[in-house]
Amino acid sequence: MNSSDAVREGLIPLLPRLRRLARALAGQVADADDLVQIVLERALARAAQWQPDAALDKWVFAIARNAWRDELRARGRSQHLFAPEEVGEMAADRASAQPAQQLELAMALAALPPDHREVVALVLVEGLSYGEAAELLDVPVGTVTSRLARARATLQAHLGKDT
Amino acid sequence: MNPIDDDTLQAYVDGELDAASAARIDAALAHDDVLARRVRQARVVRAQLRAAFDPVLDEPVPVRLSALLQPPSAQSTTPATSPVTLAGGHGATHRRTTHRRWFVPGAALAASVALLAVAFWWWQPGGDLVRMQGGQSFAAGALTHALDKALASEPDAHAAVAIGLSFRSNDGRICRTFVLRTPPARAGLACHESAGWALPVLSAVTAPEGGELRQAASALPPEVQAAVDARLRGNVFDARQERAARDAGWR
Repeated sequence: MNSSDAVREGLIPLLPRLRRLARALAGQVADADDLVQIVLERALARAAQWQPDAALDKWVFAIARNAWRDELRARGRSQHLFAPEEVGEMAADRASAQPAQQLELAMALAALPPDHREVVALVLVEGLSYGEAAELLDVPVGTVTSRLARARATLQAHLGKDT
Repeated sequence: MNPIDDDTLQAYVDGELDAASAARIDAALAHDDVLARRVRQARVVRAQLRAAFDPVLDEPVPVRLSALLQPPSAQSTTPATSPVTLAGGHGATHRRTTHRRWFVPGAALAASVALLAVAFWWWQPGGDLVRMQGGQSFAAGALTHALDKALASEPDAHAAVAIGLSFRSNDGRICRTFVLRTPPARAGLACHESAGWALPVLSAVTAPEGGELRQAASALPPEVQAAVDARLRGNVFDARQERAARDAGWR
C-alpha cells in the first residue's frame, strides 16, 4: 500500500472527528464541511509528507487548523456577506434538538478570537492534551494554558447565570 | 495552604495535573466551597461544549466528503455536480462552485433562526415522510415503516414506498434505496443508524411516460445511483440476506 492509499483509508474513520473539530472552528454546518473538504483534498495531495509512525489524527488536525487560518486570512481580505438563502443551516442544526444554552455557547465560541477558539476546539472539544495542542499549534504549553484560561473565562461568563 | 490559581484549577479540571497536585486539590475541595464552585464552573464549560459538538460524531457524513476518500476507481462514478445533498441544506449543492463563505457574524446567525420555519415548511409537502434532526434529514412516518419492514423480495405494488437495493455501505451501515410513488415522486438512499434512517440523498423522479414506478431499482435517478456507487462495498443483498438484515434490525 502506498502512502496515498494509507492516508485515504486512515482518514475514513477520522471523518466524524474531523467534522466535529471543523464545526467547532468554523461554526456553521456547511462552512465546516467546506473546511473538511479542503482538509481532505490537502491531506490527499500531501499524503507523501505523512510519516506512518506519526499519528494521522494529529497530522490531519494540524492541516485543518492551518486551512482554517488560511480561510480566515482570505476572508479578512474580502468580506463576503452571507447569502440569505444559505444562512439557515447552523440554526437548523442547533435549534432543532439542542438547548438554548448550547446555542448560546456555540455563538460565544464563534465570537472568540481565533487564538482562543482553536485552543478550545482542540482541547475542550477534541480532547487533546495541553502538550498535544501546543505541539500542533507550535506554541509553548504555557501559551496553550493561558489562552485556554482566558477563553474559558469568556465562555463561562456566558453560562454564569446558569451555574 | 496557598490559594489555587486559575491555571492550576483549569489543569485539574482538564486532567493535566500530576497526581500529587491533583490530590492536593481533591483534599481542598472537601472544605472549600468557593473552590468547589470554581471547579464546577470550569467543568460545566467543558461539558456543555462536548454536549454541543459531540452529536456531530453521530451525524451521517455527507456523500460529497466520503466520496473524496473512495478509491480512485470509485470516484469516477460520482458525478461532477454534487447530488442533492440534504445534509448540508439546499445551499450546499452550489457551494463547490462558489467561493467558500466562512464565519457568519453573530447577527447573521441570529437572523438565521427566522429561516428555520421556512426550512421546516419546505419539507411539509413530503407528507411527514422526512424529518430534520441535527441538521440532517431522516426518514419519518410511512417511509420509516417501509424501510424497517418492507422487503424488495416481496414487493407490494400498492405500497406508497417501493424498496430497491439493500446493501452494507463502506462505513458499515446498511443502506437501502427507495422510491416514493405518491406524487411528487422521489427516490433516495436511506442508511440505518442509531437515530433512524438517515437520508443522504433524495431527489425527484421523472416517471416514465404513462408508466408507474413499480421497478424501484430501475427508476433510480443518477444522483441516487451515484450515492449508491460511492458507498457500495461488495454485493447488494440477495433475498435471504435482506430478510436476515431485517430480522437483525438493520445493524
